[in-house]
Amino acid sequence: MSIIYVLIPIAMIFVLIAVAVFFWAVKSEQFDDLDRQSVSILFDEDSGKPNPANIKQQEAQDKGMPQ
Amino acid sequence: MTHPSCFHCNEPVLTGTQFVTQINDRDELMCCPGCQAVSQAIVDAGLLSYYKFRTEPGNKQTALVPEALNQFSAYDLPEVQQDFVHSEDNSDSVSLSIDGITCAACAWLIEHKVKQLSGVRQVMVNSTTQRAMISWDKQQVKLSDILGQISRIGYQAAPYQVDEQELTTKQNSRKFLLRLGLAGFATMQVMMFALALYTGYFTDLDVQYRDYFRWVSMIFATPVVLYSAQPFYFSAIRTLLSGKLNMDVSVSIAIGGAFTASCFATVNGTGEVYFESVSMFTFFLLLGRYFEQKARQKASVSSSNLHKLVPLTAHLVNEQGQEEIPAKKLRLGDIILVKPGEMVAADGCVVEGHSSINEAMLTGEQMPIDKPVDSQVFAGTINLEQPIKVKVTALGQDQLVAEIIRLQELASNTKPAVAMLADKLSRYFSGTILTIATITYFVWLQISPEDAFWVTLSVLVATCPCALALATPTAVTCATAIFTRLGIITRKAGVFEKLPQIKHVIFDKTGTLTCGTLSVSEVKCHSHLAIEEVLAIAAALETGSLHPIATAFAAYLTPDVVANQVHHEVGFGVKGLINGTEYRIGNAQFTGALVNPEFINQQIWLAWGNDDSLEVLATIEIKDNIRVDSKETVGILKQQGCRVSIASGDSSGHVHQLAKALGITDVHSGLTPADKLALVKKLQQSNPVVMFGDGINDAPVLAGADLSVAMGSGSAIAKNSADLILLGDHLSRFTQAVRVAKLTTQIIRQNLAWALGYNALILPLAVTGHVAPYIAAIGMSASSLIVVGNSLRLLRIKI
Repeated sequence: MSIIYVLIPIAMIFVLIAVAVFFWAVKSEQFDDLDRQSVSILFDEDSGKPNPANIKQQEAQDKGMPQ
Repeated sequence: MTHPSCFHCNEPVLTGTQFVTQINDRDELMCCPGCQAVSQAIVDAGLLSYYKFRTEPGNKQTALVPEALNQFSAYDLPEVQQDFVHSEDNSDSVSLSIDGITCAACAWLIEHKVKQLSGVRQVMVNSTTQRAMISWDKQQVKLSDILGQISRIGYQAAPYQVDEQELTTKQNSRKFLLRLGLAGFATMQVMMFALALYTGYFTDLDVQYRDYFRWVSMIFATPVVLYSAQPFYFSAIRTLLSGKLNMDVSVSIAIGGAFTASCFATVNGTGEVYFESVSMFTFFLLLGRYFEQKARQKASVSSSNLHKLVPLTAHLVNEQGQEEIPAKKLRLGDIILVKPGEMVAADGCVVEGHSSINEAMLTGEQMPIDKPVDSQVFAGTINLEQPIKVKVTALGQDQLVAEIIRLQELASNTKPAVAMLADKLSRYFSGTILTIATITYFVWLQISPEDAFWVTLSVLVATCPCALALATPTAVTCATAIFTRLGIITRKAGVFEKLPQIKHVIFDKTGTLTCGTLSVSEVKCHSHLAIEEVLAIAAALETGSLHPIATAFAAYLTPDVVANQVHHEVGFGVKGLINGTEYRIGNAQFTGALVNPEFINQQIWLAWGNDDSLEVLATIEIKDNIRVDSKETVGILKQQGCRVSIASGDSSGHVHQLAKALGITDVHSGLTPADKLALVKKLQQSNPVVMFGDGINDAPVLAGADLSVAMGSGSAIAKNSADLILLGDHLSRFTQAVRVAKLTTQIIRQNLAWALGYNALILPLAVTGHVAPYIAAIGMSASSLIVVGNSLRLLRIKI
């Protein structure tokens, strides 16, 4: 039973770490947009690369536009 | 006749296979060139995941005018930028508010599209607040490029200034989250030790272990009491100072008392501890308040976007010609040039030129208003046809927009206060409990002084108002969650009490019962031309016109019919050459048609020929589409015993036509904002009134009604003065909201009955000293859990 004198302080340290991580997460605005983060894993990061040919074409279009 | 729906925006496709984008090797149909361009831009950028994961359709892209892209160049002026761009060694950053974000996929799409620009360092889009934080290298890329990039995929972005109120609510909400998280973590731990302590009652826990658990519990409970529970103390002190009582007073006394007593018990090794009750109670209460705060934050975000109504720059006319200056540098008497497609930068008077102006943002009516020399124009309205010179007559707070905002504030201050049941109850409750506790203490002091403190404490703990305090917030939190799921934003407290009581619903016409966008409803041909040909010619003539009628034809544009030498006649129509023949489209006078003047509002004519000989080819009827669920909603409301009326600023016969189609008999048309407010005030005397609206002109009447509902696509001021906002513009959501609110009030009543019943039962036992401390603690926790559980039932209802 006396093992609790060691285990509970260890548990307390874990809780302290958890609280610290939580505070950091809140302060770094991670909870500001919960809808967004819950689906972000679905998106394939690599697919965000543009097709170079299209980009050139688009740049040409932009230049052609009246300023 | 059913039409396939547009792949991008889900609107019906009226143009056949004319606009097509190849997506994932399949040809997908688009409804208009706008949607086609946007979807093509998305495909070209390699952002197909958007279509895969979006949960809502995109926005219909009606205005894809090249001038719109050029307008962003104003944002590159250093004087304009100094207001909202933060520079830090070569890197600029800005906060943008973005219109048209419907789901998380939009946020992803914008982030990736903007990141493709070289020089952009960081993009973070928040889909909840519809905001983006962007930082970029000003040597490599301009702000206007970034805004252009966003508009190319169909979103409208504009820098905004965070207003003070929003900043404080944001900080508050973050602080609440910290308090809540801390209380959550600590409560879990304390509950664990409490379990050991409770078991100890029945199994003779050694005193040394018992004290050890108590000390550890105290360590965990201390930050909860000292940090997490702070909001309750402050609110209690504020109420006490103003000479009143509220729930927070008894909550604070219970928390403080139970904690102090538990600390004494721990240090002295006698008595009982209540650390777990204190922590759990704090946690539950904070949870309720946090969600309340969250809803309020969402609401204040929309009010921050108001400044977007007035443009940032103006073209000042002076001896050197004209120069672009920030609008806030304008002075009274300055002459400004307003080009077609631009917003008027300040209230003023037309001194040169003749154009028509879309005042939809003020009046909600899409039809433009003719503005010859000497007529008044207002800041924020859009010039449609010809460049005009305007002499500035009012600035800042004197402008009509500011005036309407003031009117709205005035109306919302005089709003009838609906007394909230729980609030009133809690006041009596707190007073009663505090009196009883004091009497108990003094009586026990006579009987047995050593028990007096403990008995009083058990009275306070056992009757702790937690169940009562949780009864309303938990139910409201669950109901708010359902509302969010349905796309309804609640902006003010008390909505759930008011919704079930409504007896009279008043609708504004344009933008509420109708969609606020024009479309072709009927074409009558008077010659050899087929309907398709008529529409193609009309569309070709109207290309490039900013007139709202032009948007009705955009869908019928065909590549082989092109108009040349197009000339816009202000207030009349458009003429131009197609294949060498001169065509005219416009009002009866312009096209030489002979008509009954009653119908002029909704009809336009297509003619060919010149001034000497005109032949009318077709009559085209334009209408504002009735929302698909208008009829159904009106029907359900009537079924539920509500009276339904229309109050519209429109004075044309269209209002009565619409009312007939929807089965509404009580119609008031041609009303000014003040008339509408007076009408609502009059009706309010007999029954609680709900007002639906969307334009700025509706803001005062929305603020004055018992309950007000704004459409998600409505103007920011209208949304700012409404109690409920229907996102996604589904009217039928309102009837669902009424159902949810009815269930919510029912649950709140059950909760209150239970909490009061429990307290009434336990109070005599506690006063007479028959409640063992652990029973008091368990009773208190159980009664709160039952309340929470009962409220959670709300989440399971099917809509």
